[in-house]
Amino acid sequence: MVLLENDSFLTELTRLFQKCRSSGSVVITLKKYDGRTKPTPRKGNPDTFEPSDNKCLIRASEGKKKISTVVNTKEVIKFQMAYSNLLRAHMDGLKKKDKKSKSKKTKAT
Amino acid sequence: MPYYQTWEEFSRAAEKLYLTDPMKVRVVLKYRHCDGNLCIKVTDNAVCLQYKTDQAQDVKKIEKLHGKLMRLMVSKETHSGSMDTD
Repeated sequence: MVLLENDSFLTELTRLFQKCRSSGSVVITLKKYDGRTKPTPRKGNPDTFEPSDNKCLIRASEGKKKISTVVNTKEVIKFQMAYSNLLRAHMDGLKKKDKKSKSKKTKAT
Repeated sequence: MPYYQTWEEFSRAAEKLYLTDPMKVRVVLKYRHCDGNLCIKVTDNAVCLQYKTDQAQDVKKIEKLHGKLMRLMVSKETHSGSMDTD
């Protein structure tokens, strides 16, 4: 699992989407993160870790390749804008609903 | 593991589930371009909410919910212990 900076993560995510256009799926996971880098100690051992409250972890994978990044409050606005644009730009293979088209109205000659 | 039929219900249930335990809940998004569908799952490993779609109009909704939850996660929550002004 590769941990990247926010910008590199977005670049790599773009590549993942492009790679999966013909086959495969892109899986993105989002979770609140408290900044732990060490495993929780067993009972009896003091937990000398101060959980922070302002981070989230984002992971992406296309089955084989995995990438991840940590976003905190200061970066979230910028990241979220770029991330939304990315999603909207790439998730375009879905059906467009146009039942409203009055297709019965063919030009009567 | 039920798939919700309406976005409204799913969205409300997802936010509610997140607020019960932010640390436990994760959001999973799976997109398949070749099949043209998108599936979103919100779970705390006990309850699992899912929504599936193949409609382009849902992409925006899903992406908005994603962003909303992301912002909730990074904001320092000082709720449950509301700001008492003493």
